[in-house]
Amino acid sequence: MSDETPSRTSPVARFFRAGEIETTDVRGMPVVVRLGPDDASRAAVAGICDLSAFARAGLKGPGAADWLRAQALPVPDTPNSWEPLEGGGRVLRLALSEFLIEDGPRGDAAARLSARLCAGIPQVYPVPRQDAAFALTGTRIGELLAQTCNVDLPGALAGTRSVVLTQMVSVSVSVLRDDNGGLPCYRLWCDYTMGAYLWETLAEIAAETGGGPVGTASVLREGGLG
Amino acid sequence: MTARLPVVEGEWIDRSRGVPFTFDGQRFEGYAGDVPASALWAAGVRVLGRSFKYHRPRGVLSFANHDVNTLMQAGARLNFRADVEGLEPGMALTAVNTAGTAARDGLRILDRLSAFLPVGFYYKAFHRPKGLAPFWENVFRRVTGLGRVDFSTPRLATPKRYDFADVLVVGAGPSGLRAALRAGQAGARVVLVDENARIGGSLGYQRGGERRSRDTLVELEAAIAALPNVSVRPGTLAAGWYADHWVPLVDASRMTKLRAKAVVVAQGVFEQPAVFRNNDIPGVMLASAAQRLMYRYAVKPMHVALVLTANAEGYRAALDLLANGVEVAAVVDLRQRADDEAAEAAVIARGVRVLHGHCVFEAEARADRLVAARVCPLDDSGEPRTSHAIHVACDGILMSVGWAPAAALLYQSGCVMRYDTAVEQFVPAKLAPGVFAAGRVNGVHDLEARLLDGERAGAEAAAWAGFHTDPVPAVPGLTSTPSHPWPIVGHPGGKNFVDFDEDLQVRDFLDAAQEGFDNIELLKRFTTVGMGPSQGKHSNMNAIRILARIRGQSPGEVGTTTARPFFHPVPLSHLAGRGFTARRETPVHERHERLGAAWMQAGIWLRPEYYREADRPKAECVRAEIRAVRSGVGLIDVGTLGKMELHGPDAAAFLERLYTGRFAGLKVGMSRYGLMTDETGVVIDDGVIARLADEHFYFTTTTTGAAAVYCEAQRWNAIWKLRVGLVNVTGAFAAVNLAGPRSRTVLARLGTQDLSRDAFPYLGVRETEVGGIPARVMRVGFVGELGYEIHVPAQYGACLWDRLMEAGREFDIRPFGVEAQRALRLEKGHVIIGQDTDGLTTADEAGLGWAVRMEKPFFVGKRSLEIIRKRGARQTLVGFELDPGSSAVPLECHLVIRDGEIAGRVTSVLESETLGRTVGLVFVRPELAKEGTRLEIRVDGGAIVAATVVRTPFYDPDGARQEPEHE
Repeated sequence: MSDETPSRTSPVARFFRAGEIETTDVRGMPVVVRLGPDDASRAAVAGICDLSAFARAGLKGPGAADWLRAQALPVPDTPNSWEPLEGGGRVLRLALSEFLIEDGPRGDAAARLSARLCAGIPQVYPVPRQDAAFALTGTRIGELLAQTCNVDLPGALAGTRSVVLTQMVSVSVSVLRDDNGGLPCYRLWCDYTMGAYLWETLAEIAAETGGGPVGTASVLREGGLG
Repeated sequence: MTARLPVVEGEWIDRSRGVPFTFDGQRFEGYAGDVPASALWAAGVRVLGRSFKYHRPRGVLSFANHDVNTLMQAGARLNFRADVEGLEPGMALTAVNTAGTAARDGLRILDRLSAFLPVGFYYKAFHRPKGLAPFWENVFRRVTGLGRVDFSTPRLATPKRYDFADVLVVGAGPSGLRAALRAGQAGARVVLVDENARIGGSLGYQRGGERRSRDTLVELEAAIAALPNVSVRPGTLAAGWYADHWVPLVDASRMTKLRAKAVVVAQGVFEQPAVFRNNDIPGVMLASAAQRLMYRYAVKPMHVALVLTANAEGYRAALDLLANGVEVAAVVDLRQRADDEAAEAAVIARGVRVLHGHCVFEAEARADRLVAARVCPLDDSGEPRTSHAIHVACDGILMSVGWAPAAALLYQSGCVMRYDTAVEQFVPAKLAPGVFAAGRVNGVHDLEARLLDGERAGAEAAAWAGFHTDPVPAVPGLTSTPSHPWPIVGHPGGKNFVDFDEDLQVRDFLDAAQEGFDNIELLKRFTTVGMGPSQGKHSNMNAIRILARIRGQSPGEVGTTTARPFFHPVPLSHLAGRGFTARRETPVHERHERLGAAWMQAGIWLRPEYYREADRPKAECVRAEIRAVRSGVGLIDVGTLGKMELHGPDAAAFLERLYTGRFAGLKVGMSRYGLMTDETGVVIDDGVIARLADEHFYFTTTTTGAAAVYCEAQRWNAIWKLRVGLVNVTGAFAAVNLAGPRSRTVLARLGTQDLSRDAFPYLGVRETEVGGIPARVMRVGFVGELGYEIHVPAQYGACLWDRLMEAGREFDIRPFGVEAQRALRLEKGHVIIGQDTDGLTTADEAGLGWAVRMEKPFFVGKRSLEIIRKRGARQTLVGFELDPGSSAVPLECHLVIRDGEIAGRVTSVLESETLGRTVGLVFVRPELAKEGTRLEIRVDGGAIVAATVVRTPFYDPDGARQEPEHE
């Protein structure tokens, strides 16, 4: 039997070549902090960053909202909205009775919640979350969104804590708008097994737009991973 | 540049930049801003192309993006529209549809043979005798076509994009500009598009010899430029309308799919040609074409003109000609009296002869150039009095006899149109919600009225999009009729063209109607009117008028043909540009890549079909994988299986209804095969259902069935309202199958779970750890050996794979792919839903009746199965063994033949190394299903091979190898 702690793998790990990247470890998954010397300049235009490593918890069911409140977590009032958590995490209400909780660089609410969530809580059903999670940022990121999504995401998410559930390049995604030091920034989540295709497609368009893949240092400016 | 005018205010050309190019091998030079047709016309070239059918010389007709006779080939680029697309330095242009050049076309003889090429001749003449059809096809392929395709042209991944607006205004003429301005001033996010290289529409070129329209354009341009919320996009075509106000915008580089809250259609009108003999000779053109030539490209369209008109715009066009130094020999007015006295007086004051109640009977040409017009007075019935004909020498004829609305987008949006005799055109009667019409397309022709109508539409569109704006009153009615109801003159010699794309003459329509094609849709298809590259923009209205006269109806009663997107041709590079085809990868994908996987698609998933080995053919690689599983241990990625979790107090009851088997009594820690049928009793999916707790199940589906099963399960529970929560966790779990006699030994090295027969029996399921990874392990035997299906969170998938491969290294563990798995399961006689079943197969027919518990009170499909069981099966799936030494091996779908009739078909087949014989599954008629029955199977080439029905499983019928004792 292996003594080593099992490692987690991002769905897009294979797109990063050793040697040109600076990495750190988040809960057993390597995370790209910086991708070459032009990381920040790419991010300023059209950067795509892999944030799949953060802990996540999911739940649904008629008792989900009350159970979350009982855990002292903020519960967004309406479906398709989100609330922030200490440490850069957030609680997303994806439907009337479905939630996604994700930790940020410094929090561990989702990790703790995950340990408590189990089958058998009345009217609360755990939803395993193994999402591919990305950030899209930069002044020209609107052009990338325009080429990949038929929903007016900048319009729908401007100035609100809304979550849009839609499709990008035929992949179901949840999207919200974040802040990245004044730059437009969008966070999105999709199924793990669609992650590689989505990353590859978005990274190609980001490169055409003048940007490309970037590390967390250019996206999580206050996050402690830079 | 013989015909270039002095600088014209507002001209589009940049005289400081010459642009050299060639046409049919001859060198020319135009200016930046020119289009090839304007540069050639300026250089004195009159023959710009040849007509499609008769190869007649053709020049400029419209300069409005529907001059099909000026389609050219620009290098590898086909269908270059020389009347609107910009001239580029070094362009090598050639005329299309010629044998030689436009000026010297070897096929011009066809014009003399036109009597033998009447309408519909393709349909009638060349399919008999049948044997000559290939010959004629070859001939037609050689003499037709608009350009030559260069098959080495690289594929362009032209990007597409989406865009959004509160108000989309289509058409940037006076009404469109005013609409955009008004909506923009109300605060709406406005997108204003126009297919022309610059905005302004008719304000720029229909000047009537005055400054007013030009000044209006300058003012409107400045006002709109001051509004940051108005995006102006010239060179952009709104090519269609789709539900929810999706409008594809096509520009030179891409297609943008724009969604607007409101759409203003201000696309104006297409000027329509008059129909008279030789109305296609170079030099005969629409009045608006001549005006565009003068005011956009500063080209003198002719030296001496005759203006044929039936409205005020003809007189204004004559004034434009005079203002630019063209002599006007006469204005020929189809009407007995003009209704714009001021314009007529201005023309007469310039010494121009005006002939009321006259027509052009025919145009006369010499050496492909117009030299004169034969003008006749019209009698009381509107027929030309040829005895009173006069000759008017001219090198140009302007046609200004009416308009047809550019209403394709309106039609596509569901707008109801009516024919308005006050304007002699179709106008909107009822618009679709959120769609507004303005200007000439709305039947409003006077300039001031068009501006006001645009303002009204802009205000209404902004209000529809949620912006406050004061309403604008509707414009008053017209005082004159801009279109003539019958601008058509018969001629015994014909060549009076209605459709310039397809070379259709008046006589063709009469012939078609006589043959019974007298409905507008039938007429279109038989004559092909409106089916050429200009899509009827200059021909449909006259075709409707002709048919209306034939049938004694009004144009409104005849109606129009169906307008479908795209209403204007769109480059294939735009349509076939970058596409998005989703691809799904398991969490172990990269490991397979490293191991040399040959990929295959399963739905949108990529799966290893087998693993390549150097210098080893596929079949050998697959056989090696099979041997590893049968004799040692193999590992396959089954992460593509659908995976569901079901929670809740009614979970077992839910499964009892959804599947054909029994699950209420399934013990915690055990699993059972699950078969799913639809309401008709047809098998639609299967999988393994594991009970993890009293109210918690975990079950798998087929790879391609996951989404459908999830949707169907949700649908059913919306009806049943049971207390369950269903979660689709297909992508959240990685899954592998560790199989083979050594599998238990390998797994034991990585886990703490007791794997003994008693502690972990066949079909048991355990939540445990494998290699330190939280895992669900199921003892299943799809491939017929001792095996463990291990499911772990997706992020641990690669790690699990690595640890299993490492633990199995000592036992020569080998990854195996789908091809080996299919063979292994076939040896075991297991059915694959979708391969061994089809869209009509019931559980009994597939030999899966053992999984159906009819004693249950209900399950989906039960009622149908009861009926089907009474009726008896149509076919039965059985195993077969091919006779040794057969000349060929059947393939899937090869047929079983009995007494010359089809009696079945093969669904799976395998030359099994393990068994030492060829076996398979086959559907046969029930009477042939008995063990020992001899079958004849027809293989490729028609040969018959013999086989015998045998019992399944072929391999390990007692299932002994699925127990650990076989290690």
